[in-house]
Amino acid sequence: MKKPFNYLKNFCIFLLVSPFLAVWVPSILDGLLTDLTPAYRSSLVLSFQQLSITLLATLLFAASITLTLGYISILWSIIGKIIASVLEAIESVPAILIVLFSYAPVSGYLASHSEASSSVVSLMIFVFAATLTILPESIRGITLPLGELYYQKYSLSFRSYGFRRRKILAVLMGTDVMRHAFKRIAAGILLKILVLDCSFGFIIQLGFGSYGTPAHASPGALIAANRDALFQGGSPLLFWLPVLPLVMISIAFLLILTNSKENEI
Amino acid sequence: MKSYPLILDNFSVTLFDRTLFNIDSFIPEPGTSTAITGMTGTGKSVLLNALAGLLPAYPFKLTGSMKLNGFYAYQDGVKTNYKTWNQIRQKGIVFVPAESAQAMNPSLSLEQNLKLLAPDSHDLIEQRLKEYFGIDFKKFTKFYPDEVSGGELQRITLMILLSRQGGLLYLDEPTVNLDRNLRKRFIQFLNKEVLTQKDKTILMASHDIDFVRALSMDTIIALEDGQLKYLDALPESSGYEKPKPKEITGPGLELQKVSQHYKIRGLFGEHDFYAFRKLSMKFSESIIYGILGPSGCGKTSMIRSILRLIDGTTGNIVLDKQNLVELKQKENGNDPVAFKPFRKKMSVVQQDSRFAFFPDLSIRDSFTQIYPQQSFGAVDDNYLLKNYMDKLLLPFELLEKLPRNLSSGEMKRMDILRSLISKPKVLLLDEPFAHIDFKTRTLVMQTISEYLAKNQVVVLVVTHEDFDLKYFIDEDLDFLSIADNKQRLTHRK
Repeated sequence: MKKPFNYLKNFCIFLLVSPFLAVWVPSILDGLLTDLTPAYRSSLVLSFQQLSITLLATLLFAASITLTLGYISILWSIIGKIIASVLEAIESVPAILIVLFSYAPVSGYLASHSEASSSVVSLMIFVFAATLTILPESIRGITLPLGELYYQKYSLSFRSYGFRRRKILAVLMGTDVMRHAFKRIAAGILLKILVLDCSFGFIIQLGFGSYGTPAHASPGALIAANRDALFQGGSPLLFWLPVLPLVMISIAFLLILTNSKENEI
Repeated sequence: MKSYPLILDNFSVTLFDRTLFNIDSFIPEPGTSTAITGMTGTGKSVLLNALAGLLPAYPFKLTGSMKLNGFYAYQDGVKTNYKTWNQIRQKGIVFVPAESAQAMNPSLSLEQNLKLLAPDSHDLIEQRLKEYFGIDFKKFTKFYPDEVSGGELQRITLMILLSRQGGLLYLDEPTVNLDRNLRKRFIQFLNKEVLTQKDKTILMASHDIDFVRALSMDTIIALEDGQLKYLDALPESSGYEKPKPKEITGPGLELQKVSQHYKIRGLFGEHDFYAFRKLSMKFSESIIYGILGPSGCGKTSMIRSILRLIDGTTGNIVLDKQNLVELKQKENGNDPVAFKPFRKKMSVVQQDSRFAFFPDLSIRDSFTQIYPQQSFGAVDDNYLLKNYMDKLLLPFELLEKLPRNLSSGEMKRMDILRSLISKPKVLLLDEPFAHIDFKTRTLVMQTISEYLAKNQVVVLVVTHEDFDLKYFIDEDLDFLSIADNKQRLTHRK
């Protein structure tokens, strides 16, 4: 009974993240959204394309740093304490401020260069800033279960057999418990970046309009640009079209999160 | 009409493809106490967890029906709805798990935990803690669970849970982590305060026959072959014939003024805390030493310092004329080259054997990783492995299973096997029999004794169980006496 339910759940997750696939295969959207202006249509597609790149790039970058720092924190406890202090300091600053501060040094560059190069730099800055904001939580997500597995459970036995700490930790990193932890961290990273990207895009659009940085497109900015369509005339579809896929994608990430928690039990 | 608090009808629990028990009918009389005994792994704890509604739907499969406090808790193996269970709980179910301290919420202080778990029994708990466990609860109210010692937390939790209001009381191996003195006081408490209450129906699972014998229980049941069997009397625990150990020829293991300290984080930074000071002791080969003492007195720290797996050891630990403390001064996750031969000479079996093998590897693959010098590819390849598996009554199929699919008794025997095939010169057993029944225990003891008859080995056993002292231990040492450098209390049997 559990297996069919899991298949169904995975199918639902696939359906919910399908907007990301659709924007990369233009032929899927050909027959749809014909009433929209070409400018809006291309903004919509571009914003979700860039969001998917942002999510993937941040996930890869943040996950690799998280795994490395999480492993090192348990391997060498002194380094672990230093990392924990630094992350604590980062965590005390609101995420949106970290992103804003990160853009400050490059805002001149972004305004004065071509759209293509400014988009790439903007994406890189965002990935860097977003990674900074999620590291405290994601590293804790690794060190807590790994530390518990090592210190509370396996260290005494396996050290007494003569295994080195690094070997024990490497084995423990591959256990079911840790695999579920990685999955949960990945879903958490994606969810947080999704919210951060959209809220940041929204704020920039509100504050600076089309002149604002970052230069990379975001569904948040598109929502902000069409917010008046809800109450001051215009088609409400322009507002809801980016909102709906965002809700779907968020639900997919939440499903992955709950899935991992169930498996942990 | 009499209302029965618990009715089981054709109730069975299956774990994966193994039926743990299938109970045709079980209806304890209201206001009585029932002890459920049986070998480790027969499903006693699973039964109590099922009766408390705590058994997860996966990997367990349930059939039949269960009525609690007059309401259907399970029908055709399906747990009834939340509303029904709420009604059942309102009438009162108290469950005291084996690891009772887990019942405490770590983010609440002990006082807050008490108010949450037993709001009407504050004064009673205070009085009972003082009278039976010598704990002044007023001094602990503001502490959080992780700020008190394991022994203190267990005593406080036990008393809180046992003072809760409720008509149905389940106790799962309540003495597992209590030392001898506390166990005696706990028996007094149960006999005087709990088992006399005729408004409670009590079910207690325990493998400890001596403990059950000391209690005034109304009914005794054995869970055997998946069935509940009523017993007229408890079986007598018997020992085994100990073979003569090999003659003493070597110097054994010597501890010279060994102290062990830890860094404790306090309000004004870190400060030293001594687990024990200036411990001097000679442990000869071929004698089984029993180390006794209350929980938290430093017995496990001594084992770890001998193994050189903790920092903060001073003094000399001499094995084969070499000082192990000098050979390995710091535990940084690796052994210095000079210490490596000694690592192979020492073996430890801990209280909890669940973590003795790699979690996601089969037992055979774990063995291959742990002892790469030995061939475990095929069963027949390793005479030693085959021999010990036969002796410990472990079927070979278990080698293909994951650790989590073995019962605690099987895991314990597998861990002892793992320890013996490494042919240790020093065998350290840290409360190795705490979770296993007397029959399995005797089997394991006999196997270790036979190992002693053929090999010169130093054996230290941390224990607080009378059974071990009676049948297994040659010489018992009061850890507090030897650690304080006072005259040691010992007698040769």
